[in-house]
Amino acid sequence: MSSNTNHQASEVENDVLVDVQHVTYTHWNQTEPTLHDVSLQIRQGTLNVLVGPSGSGKSTLCDLFNGVIPHLYGGKLEGDIRVGGVNTREVEVKHLALKVGKVFQDPEIMFATLYVEDEIAFGPENLRFDVETIRQTVEELLELTDLKPYRHNLVWNLSGGQVQKLGLASVLAMRPQMIVLDEPTSNLDPAATRSVHDLVLSLRDEGITVLLVTRELDEFLAEADQLLVLADGRLLAAGPPRDVLREHGEYMLDSLGVWLPETSEIGIELRRAGLLQGDEMPITVEETLSVLSQLRIEIPEGASTHRVSSAPPAEVVISARDLHYTYPGGVEALKGISLDIRSDEWLMIVGRNGAGKSTLARLLVGLQKPRKGQLTLFGRDASRWKVQQLANNIALVFQNPEHQFLTDKVADEIGYSLLAQGVSDPAEIRRRTDEMLALLDLEAVADTHPFALSAGLKRRLGVATMLVGEPEVLLVDEPTYGQDREMTHTLMALMQNIRERGIAVVMITHDMRLVQEYAERVVVMSEGRILYDGSSAGLFEQEEVLAQANLRRTVLHDLVRAMREQGYPFPSDIRSTSDLVELLKIGHVTE
Amino acid sequence: MAEGEHSLRYIERDSIMHRLYPLTKLAWVFVVAIGLFLYREPVSGAVMLGVVLLVAVVVARVPLRDVLSSSQLIFGLGILLMIFHFFADPGEPVYRVGPLTITDGGLHEGPIFFFRLSVVVLASFVLIWTTDIRDLMVSLTQAGIPYRYAFAVFLALRFLPLVQREVDAVRAAHAIRGRASRSGLVHRFKLWQRYMFTVLINGLRKAEATATAIECRGFGAYPERTYVKTVEFKPASLILVLIFVLLQAGLIYAERAL
Repeated sequence: MSSNTNHQASEVENDVLVDVQHVTYTHWNQTEPTLHDVSLQIRQGTLNVLVGPSGSGKSTLCDLFNGVIPHLYGGKLEGDIRVGGVNTREVEVKHLALKVGKVFQDPEIMFATLYVEDEIAFGPENLRFDVETIRQTVEELLELTDLKPYRHNLVWNLSGGQVQKLGLASVLAMRPQMIVLDEPTSNLDPAATRSVHDLVLSLRDEGITVLLVTRELDEFLAEADQLLVLADGRLLAAGPPRDVLREHGEYMLDSLGVWLPETSEIGIELRRAGLLQGDEMPITVEETLSVLSQLRIEIPEGASTHRVSSAPPAEVVISARDLHYTYPGGVEALKGISLDIRSDEWLMIVGRNGAGKSTLARLLVGLQKPRKGQLTLFGRDASRWKVQQLANNIALVFQNPEHQFLTDKVADEIGYSLLAQGVSDPAEIRRRTDEMLALLDLEAVADTHPFALSAGLKRRLGVATMLVGEPEVLLVDEPTYGQDREMTHTLMALMQNIRERGIAVVMITHDMRLVQEYAERVVVMSEGRILYDGSSAGLFEQEEVLAQANLRRTVLHDLVRAMREQGYPFPSDIRSTSDLVELLKIGHVTE
Repeated sequence: MAEGEHSLRYIERDSIMHRLYPLTKLAWVFVVAIGLFLYREPVSGAVMLGVVLLVAVVVARVPLRDVLSSSQLIFGLGILLMIFHFFADPGEPVYRVGPLTITDGGLHEGPIFFFRLSVVVLASFVLIWTTDIRDLMVSLTQAGIPYRYAFAVFLALRFLPLVQREVDAVRAAHAIRGRASRSGLVHRFKLWQRYMFTVLINGLRKAEATATAIECRGFGAYPERTYVKTVEFKPASLILVLIFVLLQAGLIYAERAL
């Protein structure tokens, strides 16, 4: 706890909504506790952000507040959780609904009805609210979440952002004192993420207590009242975000591998380098600018963080001309795509949900055939390829790798791909499987059932099964979705390694930080068309494209741009916070 | 996602059938079904097919094209069933087709089975086309069925599109893995096994999560709940059931008397 909160201890006592005291919890099927001696307080009307690496117990912690633990999940719970003065042990889950509402990670699973407006009414109907009150609530919430035009829509005909908002509305309808949001934005495009964040802030301003678990932190963090950091089931820190970052930032970055706003990463690195005075800890772009303006920086002429390769362009392996695709139901997913992919490329495809990215991927691997336009794959017309033949040249790693698994053992899963390619010599299968297990660091789990792996390992196995066949192009659909910072960097390093083996990598993603840091070329899709095809730095200058495709510039880009405007001679190709920090270290002039 | 438009779902229209009390439509399907199991002559079934078609197109205002395209499969199955009965039922041989014989009993029973299947299914289609499943559920609770049970049916239906999506995704993912066995049959069996496994595991995970989630939303907190949208029982709706009871009684009487 920071000293700041202790000062006001007596005042705080009164408006504490949630009081967790020495909670240790062990799942019924585990021997080791998931949460160790966790104590925390959440005050009424505050915005609380919870971060922590994968497997640190965030979701388990969220299940404490509405009584799902221990009432529904069982297990061994020690310590006490009080919500609004009531011990959750003593009240049933369905009655706690009036106190704490939880929006699940995938809100689709919490939907119980068919239509948007019915979904919002479902909770209050169960709680026997007065019909007139419910009607009014539904209207208010449709308004608040911008769902009014979709009120008669089927709940499964909504975009990703709308699904999250409907999840939130259906929980808010029960008028809880507190809402818990478990990673609401992990699969949303940047603009939808922003609008969910704005909604969360407006709720806090209306006096609703919010606990938000998230991986996508940007300037939004500056608005939080409390930042909670969970590591390995223990509460590492809790307090105002700036205090926590100042005290624990380095550890969070180096050892926990959690995502932090780029500005905070810069602040933490500057502090580590001894370049920050006092106890500054910038979170917003303005704060970072003001911190930097106190430094005397002289960037050497011509400083650039990246070498531009001058190799001649490689051969085109995939070529699309005016490609169209319409689904049998009449949905026009692609409306004239022209695109060349070369054999040595690292290409990222971005765009909002439903822009046609996945449809394009399915056409490239032959799962669907083009209806109109021309598609040439590896020198042959797409219509003349069979899916299985094509798989030897281009491999697709699905978003949910589980869907691809066909055997009961990790090693067999990799071997299967070789068998499918006609490799029949057991010794060779063995050798190449072992090689792949080693490359992807999967040796320890070679005999495990693929379904029993952790999310990160499943993702890696998905890549392994596709890579072992030595394709020319590897296509990956959102490989970093839901991964923490460390796993993301591991996966990206892997992609880099694959590139170096001479395989072109095409990646579909929402993560603009990855685009900025890794993409050599980025293609922006919107409503079945290509809006932009070029460098990531160039993309960030195209306001219209960004707006139309629901994308946002990264905080880092905004920062560098602002600094250039103030006369700092920064190169425009700064791709990551570490690039910038390196430059600052070189350029910093000590008096 | 590639979700084709299914013609077999509730479609909002302004028709008499749409306005009827949902439970009476359910009762109507049962009345139609009972009748078809009592008829002894194919002609009664044919009359009912015509009448139910008339209800679908005129009273429920479903375009004939939609009716036919949805019923194709079931009519096809009905015809197969009829042909099977031609050969399988006991009776005097009428024609010989190779080693098989068509009996007079079969020629009589075959159409009866065809009409049983097709008319009952068609009547249930009319119920689906004209009834919002939510209203049906509400009317079930009004009839005294505890809402937890009425909702179970409803939730199962709500899950279908999710399962469909899962099946599509797994099928696509499997397709690009290629086949590791030279025997097509072995490969197919293995694939099918894995299909079931993956869809089942993910289905169970989802079902469990949904059960938890709706409990968090107060489901089952009290023996009753309120409904923002209710359906009102209109006694006039019973006329549909009444007409059909009379019609069927007439047909049965005619069969036995003639």
